[in-house]
Amino acid sequence: MAFAIRRKRTRELLLIWFFLAPSLLIFLLYRIIPLLWNGVLSFEFWSPYKPAEFAGLYHYEEMLLYDDVFWQAFWNTAIFMASAPIGILIALLVAILVDTPIRGRNVYRTIVFMSYPVMTVAVGIIWQWLYNEKVGLFNYVLVSLGIVEQGIPFLETASLALPAVIVASIWQVLGFYMIILLTGLQNIQPSLYEAAAIDGANAWMRFRRITLPLLRPSIFLCFVIGIINSFTNFDLIYVMTDGGPSHATELLVTYIYRVAFKLAQFDYAAALTIVNFLFFVFLAWLANRLAGGEVGAVETG
Amino acid sequence: MNLKRLTPIAIGAAFAMALGLGTTAAQAQKKISILTWNIPYFEEGMNQWKEMFKKSHPDVTIEWLDKKGTEFSTFYQTQVVAGTAPDIIDVQGGLWLEYASQGGLLDLTPYLKRDKAFTDGLYPEVVNGWVFEGKNYGVPFYISKTLLFYNKLMLKEAGLTNPPATFDQLMDYAAKMTKGEKSGFMTLNFDWLYWPIFAENGIDLLTPDLKKAAFNTPKAVALVEKLAKATKDGVINKISWTGRWVEPNGAFAAGTIGMLNAHAPAYLWFKSKGPWVNEDTVGAADFPGRWSTPNSHAFLISKGTKHPEEAWEFVKMISSGDGAYVFGTGSNNLTGDKAANSRLMKYFAEKIPVVVPVLETQLKHLDKLTGNWPIAKDAQVKEAFYPELQAALLGDKSAKEALDEAEKKVNRVLTRR
Amino acid sequence: MNRFPKWVIHLGLGIICAAMMVPFYWVLKTSLTGENIFAYPPSLVPENPHLFYYVDVWYSIPFFRYLVNSVIVSIIVVVANVVLNAMAGFALTREFMGKGAIIMLFLSCMMIPFQVTIIPAYLITRDIGLLNTHLGMALPLCSTIVCIFVFKASFDAIPKSLIDAARIDGVPDWMIIFRIMVPLSQSAIATNIILAFIWSWNNFLWPLVIIRDNDMQTLPLGLARFLTVVEDSTGALYAFCIMVLVPGLVIFLLAQKQFIAGLTSGAAKG
Repeated sequence: MAFAIRRKRTRELLLIWFFLAPSLLIFLLYRIIPLLWNGVLSFEFWSPYKPAEFAGLYHYEEMLLYDDVFWQAFWNTAIFMASAPIGILIALLVAILVDTPIRGRNVYRTIVFMSYPVMTVAVGIIWQWLYNEKVGLFNYVLVSLGIVEQGIPFLETASLALPAVIVASIWQVLGFYMIILLTGLQNIQPSLYEAAAIDGANAWMRFRRITLPLLRPSIFLCFVIGIINSFTNFDLIYVMTDGGPSHATELLVTYIYRVAFKLAQFDYAAALTIVNFLFFVFLAWLANRLAGGEVGAVETG
Repeated sequence: MNLKRLTPIAIGAAFAMALGLGTTAAQAQKKISILTWNIPYFEEGMNQWKEMFKKSHPDVTIEWLDKKGTEFSTFYQTQVVAGTAPDIIDVQGGLWLEYASQGGLLDLTPYLKRDKAFTDGLYPEVVNGWVFEGKNYGVPFYISKTLLFYNKLMLKEAGLTNPPATFDQLMDYAAKMTKGEKSGFMTLNFDWLYWPIFAENGIDLLTPDLKKAAFNTPKAVALVEKLAKATKDGVINKISWTGRWVEPNGAFAAGTIGMLNAHAPAYLWFKSKGPWVNEDTVGAADFPGRWSTPNSHAFLISKGTKHPEEAWEFVKMISSGDGAYVFGTGSNNLTGDKAANSRLMKYFAEKIPVVVPVLETQLKHLDKLTGNWPIAKDAQVKEAFYPELQAALLGDKSAKEALDEAEKKVNRVLTRR
Repeated sequence: MNRFPKWVIHLGLGIICAAMMVPFYWVLKTSLTGENIFAYPPSLVPENPHLFYYVDVWYSIPFFRYLVNSVIVSIIVVVANVVLNAMAGFALTREFMGKGAIIMLFLSCMMIPFQVTIIPAYLITRDIGLLNTHLGMALPLCSTIVCIFVFKASFDAIPKSLIDAARIDGVPDWMIIFRIMVPLSQSAIATNIILAFIWSWNNFLWPLVIIRDNDMQTLPLGLARFLTVVEDSTGALYAFCIMVLVPGLVIFLLAQKQFIAGLTSGAAKG
């Protein structure tokens, strides 16, 4: 009997690992090995043309002690990520609203989603124009309404450029959040609401007691997406400001890309990559802890 | 499960074969690849080049790759690491200096010396733009440099007749042309294209030996303060200092910019965008002081090439004589070859006369080129310098503070490993 | 939540959608007029709209060939995503040694931006012989971590009692997956299809790096044709963006039909 159970357990374990294997293999090839490559490179002097030389902590020292741009990009990235909850909240509201049985919800969903797949290059130029100091739409409206006397140079002012880019990035990622949250809402059994309604719980109580806790895995996922949004939004920032003015919208990812491919300093870029990675993993670990230890560990009866 | 995974792959493969896609069979011939910089429209001309080359070199096939500027270096450097670098590359800006300093490019000096007749046909000033540490790495492909475009309608409206001849006039005219949504002056600024402003005011970036920063002078501080003030007042449009190019050209085409410091190709771009643009409405003049920053393109050959002789022959063919003429007519540019250019000017005079005054500026004052410093760390120096200058120009820092900081950073880049 | 009067919901969604539409409206408008967006004052209504730029796009690049390549790559990616992510997502719903580590590993893998992996990923793809192939373009996207977690959350939400009952009846694990879990996770499948499609469809930098052959290019790579310096191609650029966008929206419209639980639960609450 015990033997049979153990055999069954072994079979189950085999199945689990067999199921994980293809995904793990892809991540090994396209994530883990490249990360290790960066890890090795970060301790070397290297260029595509020359054999590598051991550099010790040279690049890390440069980064942490001397490179102001790194620190600016670091804090910009932190601010960028800290703005994620705004987008998630709006998306949550939208998701709940388009999950109600109202007429035309397909249209609403599509419109909100549409900004996510549209090609960034074209939209980036539109956003530049929207923010344009003299002829942009936002300033046209502000000036016409008499709210400001002269146009505001959103993208050319160091203190406004990052918020301006964040707004554009929330616009872009909102549809992504929405679809994740919508999937989460679908996972909630209708019977739970029925039971609660019978118990006399009002809409707010149902939201607090059922929707929110059961949506926790999806919300957590949105936070993780919010963390990595700085690189999924890379193109938009790159097109809109290229990290400027004066690095005001420089994020770690735009900086790494610039250092690697524009300045041809792959070794230094590798060191930046490793620090960036450790920072993000720490945040993901923290988010995971706050979300209850394990992603999606919420049990339903 | 495996079957499930394989099915789509099989479908894909079947599709590919059915449609005759997929890669072609391995060539027994010699293959030369050429990577060009954002000229996807040049397909017809490229085919002509291939035909022409086939006549003299039937054993060589040409592979054409084209990438736009934003991905060019990403693609090229990945290929270099993989050991499959395209044999010939067409570059602009200072990117090539880093490659040259790392030993990634073929020294073309012996070739240029050997084929004297070819070399003599080129503009020596332009050829010299591709020299690093005494060695020549590039053959001019097409040439362009900055000039001052001005909106004649706005000029007239401001009660002026001629374009500015001095820098002070430029600032003065710009102020007169500014009102509402209209700005008097704008400049492109990637690849140091704004540098004529500094050159005209007697400011150089580096000392003549290229070892130290030379820009932090009281004169420079005064100039930056002046520019910052004009920028704040809207006389210089703020987009000037952002490095973007679609917006400046679009804005000039919209008729809201009085004067634009830009390279020659911008003309046909904003002409196609603004139907009102013609000889009577837009003028082309030398920038005050006649300084200009070249934004020329050149062909370079990768060190790793397996067929340097053939690559060189191809470069020679396409950058002179009929080969150059094909490109000039296909892209409305002037080339690095004197003879081809005189043919091209006749062609333009007949076909697109409006562009002639613009192109004429391109062949003059080749002794007053600025904005190029043959240092390996060109890109790094720019990274160290420009954001500081930008902060001052956009009013986030005082000129003195910004230039001090920039000087410190540039000197650090120059002395670092 | 449906205690709100309908008009309040419509109003709220209307405002959000209007705001979301603003940049998009100008993309669409410019594609129909080719106008200079930097003109002043901004024009709100398209003047003389026409479809010329859409035709122009079709002939400026080998549109059909690129389209076919994009379709092939996207089919591979979508099928692989649904299958592989469902498998991995299922595995993560079970208890086993090292599960916490695997989850942390997945989360960490998400934290590596694609841009820093280009060179090693290129070398790996070369070594497995997939340069210049559809599979090579598809492979890095064949399993995506976000979607694995989407599946996991969906599977986790299926009542344990249902699965236990099937187990007691002696139904094997793989049957449970296909007969019970998959049918109950339709919205997760829909999300997988939508996201995997969009990611593959819009993928730009990776195909750009690994494809040298013009016949193998995918649609987004056609973009460069509309961003040259010599001529203004604004109208065509925006028309191109719309043409690339449409298939994604069609997939979204088709797949999102699976998001129906809201309707039923709403109806049940009545």
